[in-house]
Order: sequence, then C-alpha cells, then structure tokens
Amino acid sequence: MSILLGPQTELEAVAEVLVPVEKRRKRHIWAWVLGLWIISGAYIVPADQQAVVTRFGAVVNPRVPPGIHYALPWPVDSVYKLKVRQLQRTLIGGEIPDAILGRSEPSSSEFLSGDQNLLNVRVVVQYSVRDPKDFLFQTADVERVVRAAVESELARRIARTPVDDILTTEKIAIQNDVLQSAQHALDGYQVGVTISSINIEDVTPPAEAADAFRGVAGARADAIRLVNEAEGYANDLIPRARGEAAQLAEDSQAYKDGKINRAAGDAARFEEIAAEYAKAPKVTATRAYVEAMEQILPKIKKVIADSNGNLDVTIVRRDDNSPTNSNGDTSR
Amino acid sequence: MTKKKKYALAAGVFALLLAYLSFYSVRETEFALVTQFGRPVRTVSNAGLHVKWPFQSILWFDRRLRIYNPRPSEFLTRDKKNLVIDNYVAWRIEDPNRFVQSVGDTSAAEMRLHDIIWSGLSASLGTQDLETLVSATPDKAQAAPMLDLLTATADRAALEQYGIRIVDVRIKRLNLPEQNKQSVFARMRAERERIAMQYRAEGEQQALILRASADRQKEEIISSAYKDAEKVRGQGDAEATRIYGQAYSKNPQFYKLLRTLESYKKVLDDKTTIILNSDSELLRVLTRGEAGAK
Repeated sequence: MSILLGPQTELEAVAEVLVPVEKRRKRHIWAWVLGLWIISGAYIVPADQQAVVTRFGAVVNPRVPPGIHYALPWPVDSVYKLKVRQLQRTLIGGEIPDAILGRSEPSSSEFLSGDQNLLNVRVVVQYSVRDPKDFLFQTADVERVVRAAVESELARRIARTPVDDILTTEKIAIQNDVLQSAQHALDGYQVGVTISSINIEDVTPPAEAADAFRGVAGARADAIRLVNEAEGYANDLIPRARGEAAQLAEDSQAYKDGKINRAAGDAARFEEIAAEYAKAPKVTATRAYVEAMEQILPKIKKVIADSNGNLDVTIVRRDDNSPTNSNGDTSR
Repeated sequence: MTKKKKYALAAGVFALLLAYLSFYSVRETEFALVTQFGRPVRTVSNAGLHVKWPFQSILWFDRRLRIYNPRPSEFLTRDKKNLVIDNYVAWRIEDPNRFVQSVGDTSAAEMRLHDIIWSGLSASLGTQDLETLVSATPDKAQAAPMLDLLTATADRAALEQYGIRIVDVRIKRLNLPEQNKQSVFARMRAERERIAMQYRAEGEQQALILRASADRQKEEIISSAYKDAEKVRGQGDAEATRIYGQAYSKNPQFYKLLRTLESYKKVLDDKTTIILNSDSELLRVLTRGEAGAK
C-alpha cells in the first residue's frame, strides 16, 4: 500500500518543512486528505450506461449496473463507463456527404454480383455493446472490425446472387443472411457487440448501364400495360357476349311461345269453324269460296270466256298494251 | 528536523522508489515483456499487479485484435480470370518475445502480413475457378474452405516466424480490373436489352393469349346460345306443327278448302290476269240464272 500513499507522503514532508504547526492540526489535515481520497472512489453509473471496473488493469467487475457504486480510488481501480444501449451507426459503400460532393472513391461501393454484374450498394449497419468487457479490451478499433466483417459477408452474399434478385426479391434475405453471418464472425473475434440491423439503403446499377436498367423497367411496364389492355378487352368482350347470348335465348323463347300460341289460336279457330262446317258442309264451303272470291277478284284483271272457251284476245291485248300504246303515241 | 527524522524520510523515499521499480500493473489490453538489460526474460499475459526486479524493465505490447487492410490487388484464377480482391486480416500479437525480435512494430508487422497473405492468396486462387468466388448458383460459390485453409497456413507461418496470430483472412470486396469494366458494362447493357425484349415479348404473348381466349370464349358463348336458341325454336315449330296437325286432321277436306282459299288471297294480286270460263262455278249463276246455282 505504501506506493499508493506516495503523494500523501510527499505532502507530509512538505508540511513538515514549510508549516511547523502543532501535531493535532497536522493530523487533522491528514484525516481530511485521506477521507477525500477514499471518497473519490465513489462513482455514479447513469441509467443508460454500464461500467467495467479494473484493479491494476485486471477486470474485477465486468458489468456494473446503473446506480451509485464504490471502487477503490486511483491508482488501484479504474472505472470505464459505456453507453451500452446507444446504437452506433456506420455506413458501408461511401459516406453520404462524400457521395454528394462526388469525392467518394469510385469503387468504394461497387460489388460484384453472382452473374458478374457490378452494382453500387450502400448499407447502414447499426450495432450496440453487448459485452462491455470484450468491447473495451478485445479489439483495437471496434468500428473497423464491424465494418470489415459486414463488408466481407455482404460481398460474399452478393457474389452468390444474380443481379435481378439483388435488385428485387432478395434484398431482405440478403440483409438477414449478412446480419447472421457477420454476427457469427464478430462473435468469433470476441468483439462484444450485437449487430441490431443491416439495412441496404440503396442498390443501383452503375451509371454506365443505368439507362439499360431503366429500359428493363420500361419494358416491364410496357408488358404489364399490354396485358392489362388485353384483360380489359376480355373483360369488355365476354360480358357482352353473355348479354348477346341471353338475348338469343330470350328471342328463341319468344319465337317458340309465339309460334305455339299462334298455332293454338289457329287451331282453335279452325276447330270452331270446322264444327260449324260439320253442321252444314255444303253451304259453308260455298260461302267460304264466294267470300274468298269477293276478296280476290276485285284486285285482278279478269277475262271472261264463254262456255266453249272462245275468247276475243284482241280485247285482252288492247287492255294489256295500253301503256305501250301511249309509248307508241309519243314515238309516233 | 532531527537526524533521526531525516533518516526516516530518506528511508521512506527509497522504499517508495523501490516499490515503484518493483511493481507494475498489466492491463487487459496488453502484454508485458520483462527484459533484463535488453534480454527478454518472460512474458506476462495475465492482467493485474505484478512484481519484477527493480533493474528489470518492461516492453508493452497491445494484444488486442487488429484489422489490417492491404491495398486491393489483382489476382488470377485458375481459369485465367482477373479479379481485384480487397481483403482484410484480423490479427493480434500472440508471442511478444518473438514479435519484438523478428518484427518490432505494427507497421513492420503489416508489411510481413501483406507478404504472407498476398502469396497465400495468389497461390490458393490459382487453384480455384472464378465461380468459386462469384457464381449465380450459390452451391458453387464456396470460397470459405479455401479461406479457412489460407488462414490456417498463414497463421502457422506468422506465429512461428513473427509471433503473430492470424485470426481470420477474409475477402472484403470482389471487383473486376478497371480495364475490364468497360466490356462488363457493355455486357450488362446487352443483357439488359435482351431482358427488356424478353419482357416485351412475354407481355405481347400473354396479351395475345388473353385476347384469343376472350375471343374463343365469346364464340363459345354465342354459338352455344345459338344452339340452345335454335333448339327452342325447333321445339316451338314442332309443337306448333303438332297442334296444327291435331286440329286439321279432324277435318282435312275443309282444311284443304280453307287453306287453298287463303293461298289464293296471297298468290293472286293486281298483276294477275285470270281468264274465267263463264261456265265456272262462280259465274254460272251470272250466265244461267238461278239454275246455275244447282
């Protein structure tokens, strides 16, 4: 313990040389100094932090919860406080301000996909302290290790995936896989952090091929439009055909009903007449014949020949040709 | 001050000095190498308070894990493809004694690491096809065993020669050499154009199928309706025929008369000229008077 009391011993010497006061007063000062020294070992860990305590460099308490605590004063114990809940954020694939200013290294965000396409990928990694002891003492530069591990897993995962999947469906799967494997690597290094999220912020094709990629998007939109138009056509055509079919069915039903009803009507009428005919067949037949003739004969030209069948045809011709005659008149 | 007190003071100062020279504390992040007149005596790796002879001195070494990131360099695979590989090495000092004798400091260590890793990587990549690293079929892209082997051999060599533990060697980034990139971009563009055409063609195909299917369905609906309609009409006709037949067969002669007269009304119109014999049924009364009606 004597080495630790060094400063106090020196003080004592100074006090003896410079201030020759009574012994009681001297002890009083000593008590004060000692008391202050002992009190200086108290420390507070805030609510969002944890602390690690080392004694002569060796860890004696790897995880001190928030609250007021006591450790032996300097130079015996050292207290390291850490904001364990605070998420640390690091970006892979070019820092944003650099990208805006165009200063970023051109290949810093380039990744090679499984089908040998180049892609610019930007990923945000968030991590927090899991084991304060490992976090403090195992790694020289935690952020650098985290970045290296995530970047390597990302490159590996992207190098096994075709570019279309990276751009579309596989994004979430890549995030999850990289998180798991990078965490595994970090656990192997005993870095003492937990990766809480890996978020692919941006995946873009290189500028040199960007228009071709947009062309694909356009083609996809065109294809969807064509299909939609065809669906519209079908959706218009089929209901109309159904309507037409219904119309045909109704028409035919109407025809059938009409035909049957008319037939029934005609039949009923005939039966009525036939019943009367049966009572006086001869008279009825004659009446029917004469009535019919009355209706027919007024409309038509009639030539009556005598009973021998002689006929003055000239009359017929003159009658018939009267329009031709008038024609002949004009020509004459 | 009395003489006795002076002696006591001197003894105290001396004791402090002695204690200061004899005790040292080792932190968790460090190794202490105890040297005696320049010669390493022992390595202290467990943290805490330790004792040494006052004439011994100490060299400190950071024992934490470090990342060394060599400059990206170009490698040739077995199938003669160039790849720019950016890798990292996770390493730490394992044997301070050997380290201080063979390497000395961190930057020298990184140079040695660079040599070990570069030669190891180019040797092991020379035995692998490109698709071990880059492949669209995940089963083929299995670079991990190669890197594990590389880590193990590099670790053995580094530990033996430099007292360095290589914890991991990993590929951080794969890229193509700058001079190859233009052709890659051209290939990417061509590929995209092909895909775009394929999308359009597939869209057209699907649209045509949809339209044709719609047309077919329409035809099916209409013709099926026509079939049913004609059947219904036929039923109507048949029923009507049956009704007529039933009714007219009761008195066929009268029906013939009536029907014939009906048809005269339609057949004989104003363009018809009819020559009637005065002896005909209709005119007999006209020519013969009452006797004609008999």
